Amino acid sequence: MKMNPHEILSLVSLKIGYASGKNENVLLPPLTASAGSGELIAVIGRNGIGKSTLLRTLTGLQQPLGGEIFYSGKKIEDFSRMELAQNVGYISTEIVKVSNMNVYDLVALGRFPHTNWLGKIEMEDHEIILDALKKTSMEHFRRKFVSELSDGERQKAMIARILAQNTQIMIMDEPTAFLDIAGKYEILHLMQMLSHDSDKTIIFSTHDLQMAISQSDKIWLILDDKLLEGAPEDLMIAEAFDHLFASSIVQFNSQDGTFSFRIGTKGSIYVEGEGDKRMWTEKAINRAGFTVSKEKSFPYVIIPSDNKKFWQLTTQTSIKEFMSIYELISSLGKEV
Amino acid sequence: MKTDIKKGLFADLKSARNNRIIFSGLLLLVLIVIILDIFLGSVSIKPSEVLKAVFTNADTSFATIILKFRLPKAITALIVGIALSISGLQMQTVFRNPMAGPYVLGISSGASLGVAFVILGFSSNITPDSLKGFGNWILVAASWAGAGAVMLLIMVISSKVKDIMTILILGIMLASGISAVVTIMQYFSNETMLKAYVIWTMGSLGNLTSSQLNVLLISVSAGVLLSLFSSKMLNALLLGENYAGSIGLNIRFARIVIFTGTSILAGSVTAFCGPIGFIGIAVPHIVRILFKTSDHRILIPGTILMGGAVMLISDIISQLPGSETVLPVNAVTSLIGIPVVIWVILRNRKYSGSF
Repeated sequence: MKMNPHEILSLVSLKIGYASGKNENVLLPPLTASAGSGELIAVIGRNGIGKSTLLRTLTGLQQPLGGEIFYSGKKIEDFSRMELAQNVGYISTEIVKVSNMNVYDLVALGRFPHTNWLGKIEMEDHEIILDALKKTSMEHFRRKFVSELSDGERQKAMIARILAQNTQIMIMDEPTAFLDIAGKYEILHLMQMLSHDSDKTIIFSTHDLQMAISQSDKIWLILDDKLLEGAPEDLMIAEAFDHLFASSIVQFNSQDGTFSFRIGTKGSIYVEGEGDKRMWTEKAINRAGFTVSKEKSFPYVIIPSDNKKFWQLTTQTSIKEFMSIYELISSLGKEV
Repeated sequence: MKTDIKKGLFADLKSARNNRIIFSGLLLLVLIVIILDIFLGSVSIKPSEVLKAVFTNADTSFATIILKFRLPKAITALIVGIALSISGLQMQTVFRNPMAGPYVLGISSGASLGVAFVILGFSSNITPDSLKGFGNWILVAASWAGAGAVMLLIMVISSKVKDIMTILILGIMLASGISAVVTIMQYFSNETMLKAYVIWTMGSLGNLTSSQLNVLLISVSAGVLLSLFSSKMLNALLLGENYAGSIGLNIRFARIVIFTGTSILAGSVTAFCGPIGFIGIAVPHIVRILFKTSDHRILIPGTILMGGAVMLISDIISQLPGSETVLPVNAVTSLIGIPVVIWVILRNRKYSGSF
């Protein structure tokens, strides 16, 4: 394998899992993957496959059961706990519950591997902390207690904390898990900014495949028998994501990167018209369990246009007009 | 950016100034209650007599009361308050449990088991009177060992069970179990041993010999130094062990240092003064509210001052100034501590598990 000059992390036949006594519970087949500097990498895999274990192992919180982890060519075991903390930052899914801790103090804890035995915050540390707060737009929350923050604000504060830790690599376990849509995109935007503008390597796990595909530079796709890595588009072309859903009723549409349920088709309908209304009408028809046919045949739907305000459904026996997609779909089941 | 830093620094300076004011206030409070504790007691002594006893070599009966009883008792109260409160603070952070404290989790019981082994188990020659010099160190070491053993047990349990209330109930079970063991030991011991032990369990702040006070002072100083050394580690542990590890804390080392400190603090007090409840759990909460911070570099000095003050106040109340009756100090600390504990439980419902 060709060594990437910007490569900052590489896993070589890494075995992860739990060891209790002499019993080893290896979770996955040996993993081989790499990460470059400034890359946003999404770790994808079904629930319980070992994503969190992998991320914990990369952070050094858990011993690998075999294989190697290299950070900039140096083995993870050759780092002291402190040195590792100066290179790798970590956010888990665990929600920090501390009362009487303000955001500034939380972020200041990121300076832990850089301060003296008493944890004294020097002027330089103070500037780094303020900068981290600024980058995450949390500077106005610095005196607010962590327990009073919303989920999204707390996550930003946690990100500010690893920014203050000033590590080249940031590992985040489901950083957007409990956020609403707006919060998810805000956090993801922040992560993207950090990786591209500040040259941080961010490795995060997520269940949001669509988000991962559209935003990340690289995906580590963990399947039961192997780890596939590559740009999201490479994996799409290789139809790799289909393996995620092999045994479930959800299917991944490689063409547009969306999901749908596998439903036996009830028939096909031709759609005539252009623009947004056509797109949404097609989506609704799909959801109702029909496919959109490419050639004009019965039944067909003519979508509203400038000189017509109705959806017109023409079958072999009748022509009906509807005021909304909702009405059209409700009647599809009966008519066709 | 530069003005931002200045503004930030200004806010920090302001909060640093606030902290200084609170610290000065606490220091003043400690001084006042020390003086009150010396001036007030079941025998009413005129302030002029007190001053005469302290500053001259007058050999009056008042001087005896002041120098041999009240002064050592006030010093003991101060040390005991500091030790219990610091151990409570450390336990609350390490276990991430707002209800942790040496008394409620059975650490004090563990210490008393250690003491019971020494007094009831080893030698029939040991009586409180014979426990001088080196004997005191044996007693205190047994107490540390007992406290440490229970700490370890609670730690193993709380790594498996996360629920705060469950841990609390287990702590109570543990304390009951230990007291059952001690009862059985009492049943099999002879009269002298039994008497020695029963006198010990009644323990109060006022019964310490000067050599015992020395042992207590040295042990607690060591424990407090360890806790000051641990403040950075304790701050990291606030985030839980995963995060603490990820920012570079050596968890095993931190545990050993903090556990040693806590066992020494709680064990030493229990060895000489018997189990004293609710100071260790209540004082750290009062200090957190007062300083509005979770930073142990502020909480530990704050807890030292507040713990000493609260224990001295308890001692003053227990003497019921003006009357000749003396209440057990344990009753007073419970009455002061329990409302705080109840408040924490009620507030905890709202924040579900945070402290």
